[in-house]
Amino acid sequence: MKNYSLKIGWLYPSLMSTYGDRGNIIVLQRRCEWRGIHVEIVNIDENTSDSELNSVNILFGGGAQDREQEMVMSHLRKKRKQIAKLIDDYLPALLVCGSPQLFGHYYEPSEGKRIDGLGIFDLATKHPGPRNDRLIGNVIAKSQIPELHDTVIVGFENHGGRTYLGKNAKPFANIIKGSGNNGEDGTEGVLYRNAIGSYLHGPLLPKNSAIADWLIKKALGLKYKEEIVLEQLDDTFSERAKQAIAQRLGVQL
Amino acid sequence: MVNLVIIFFGKIISKFFRFFNLGDGSTWPGHIALGANKNFINQVLKKSKTKVIIVAGTNGKTTTSSLITHVLKENSKSVIQNKSGANLLNGIASTILLHCNNAGKLHADFAIFEIDENVLPLILKEITPDYLVLLNLFRDQLDRYGEINTIAAKWKDALNVIARDASIKQSQKNKKTIFILNADDPQITFIAENSSAKTKYFGCSDVSIRHNNTDHSADSNHCPKCRNKLTYLEKTFSHLGNWRCNKCGFKRPKLDLNNFPVYPLPGIYNKYNTHAAVLTLQATGLSEINIVNSFRSFLPAFGRQEILTYKNKKVQIFLSKNPTSFNQSFQTISDLGAKTLLLVLNDRIPDGRDVSWIWDTDIPRIGNFKHVLISGDRAFDMALRIYYEDYKNLTTYDDLSRAINAGISLIDDNETFFILPTYSAMLDVRKVLTGKKIL
Repeated sequence: MKNYSLKIGWLYPSLMSTYGDRGNIIVLQRRCEWRGIHVEIVNIDENTSDSELNSVNILFGGGAQDREQEMVMSHLRKKRKQIAKLIDDYLPALLVCGSPQLFGHYYEPSEGKRIDGLGIFDLATKHPGPRNDRLIGNVIAKSQIPELHDTVIVGFENHGGRTYLGKNAKPFANIIKGSGNNGEDGTEGVLYRNAIGSYLHGPLLPKNSAIADWLIKKALGLKYKEEIVLEQLDDTFSERAKQAIAQRLGVQL
Repeated sequence: MVNLVIIFFGKIISKFFRFFNLGDGSTWPGHIALGANKNFINQVLKKSKTKVIIVAGTNGKTTTSSLITHVLKENSKSVIQNKSGANLLNGIASTILLHCNNAGKLHADFAIFEIDENVLPLILKEITPDYLVLLNLFRDQLDRYGEINTIAAKWKDALNVIARDASIKQSQKNKKTIFILNADDPQITFIAENSSAKTKYFGCSDVSIRHNNTDHSADSNHCPKCRNKLTYLEKTFSHLGNWRCNKCGFKRPKLDLNNFPVYPLPGIYNKYNTHAAVLTLQATGLSEINIVNSFRSFLPAFGRQEILTYKNKKVQIFLSKNPTSFNQSFQTISDLGAKTLLLVLNDRIPDGRDVSWIWDTDIPRIGNFKHVLISGDRAFDMALRIYYEDYKNLTTYDDLSRAINAGISLIDDNETFFILPTYSAMLDVRKVLTGKKIL
């Protein structure tokens, strides 16, 4: 058995780890370890060298309070070119909650100046202001990842910003129940090459282990340049958790 | 005059609810009272000689209030309290209404109100308390309350108003609020900074050193003033400890209390609650001896380390509703040698609908447990959390009653069965264990 190993880069965890985002890292790590794949988790922050960032096999970013997100953006802009190249080169990435907004073209708060994003995701986000309802609640959607087409995804959304995808941008999933990116067009998140952007908390991966395995497979494939078959794990709990939410929302799986 | 009418009808409504066993009607009278007269609360309080204590914070309100109430009553003071769960404006108004006499006045020596953190600024507009206790600010119910920074900012504004009013009133020889603050919480210290109000600080000198491991429930690790990362000489848990900012110099103020001879409840988090209660009680004029003696007869508030007997076995409930309280409960029961554990996770309105928070908990040493049982609306989410701690010997139950009975059948005669529920789950658990309707 070959000794596989993966490095997961976690963007600014001390600033951007709210809403249980860490659960996504835990799931990725365990699912690798249970298959004998060694995992190293590194923080990606203002002290990270270019070579360290280039050695990452999966990139992960979570959400933060507004103040903290501003702080991250000022550092992250310096790494824009490098990250853009990594994503263009099919680096698997999972960006949840606030980070897809940072990776888009811009974020427009209801008051104040527009904040430029990294322009890696073809999307823009606007906040309509405190008088508008936040989009909050359980979500059921169908994945638009080619290898996982129509796989059911469940999560929980809680955002004030409305995200609109560019003309040619593809969503991560299509909404069955819930609001999604903006409550209007039925899209949830964004998918660009092997990078997923999504508003979904839950966190996303525990109940949607197929997504976790997809990220791991893509990462191994890119690193070792071979098609790797992952050992099947016991996903009874995630299936039942999904069922429980679907039942509650009146959706037949 | 209006108030007398309101009080009269409010009491009737309350009796109606209780008579027909319509459950928790404890906020309806207040709702109606405020609808009829929005100044109801401050008008009644102005007429009354009752001293008001307000307790606010994410965790510890009920325990701290219970400690204070218990000691005051042991020392022959009359105390009215709002029911736990009735900690919004309606609940306060109801409590006041139901205890008013026919002249529309309260005659208790003390009124102690535990206040939901999101509503504190609103309450402070209606009430200027004699004592304001600020325990902590932790991440809790994100879908309801949004960000901690936002809450902290609102508290700071509200407190500035009180402090400003206090200095005006002082010159008129009127009531001045005494602040009782958790100095180990940088956010709380920042909120009350520059206040000219009389302030007492408590903290903990218990040292639990965490080796390079960020407590993932920690929210305020950054200086509330200049946002630089804080340095800790000692940390108790989450973001609490002996903190300082090396950039702007903001640091923990000098403590008035960090130790006490008697702790009625185990757990580091209860040391904080005890210190808060002690400072408040001392401010009312009670001596240390009185407080120590009264503590010895204290029984825990329901759901907060409450010990119940069920089918001749011991069951202890530790309310665990957000990462910090979960971590502290888990740590405490581990220290108590727990072997059999039931986790109950709900996502109803009082619990918060987003259960992502369970992934911000730290669950070390889960392997030491012989049995982990799980139930609740979101049992499978909790099962996933435990499963991903590499603990596979867990069982889920659709039915809470079956889960509890299963646990009872698994424990030895001298063993305690531990239950860690979220808020609504705690009420359901108590219903099973005591056979009584909620509250």
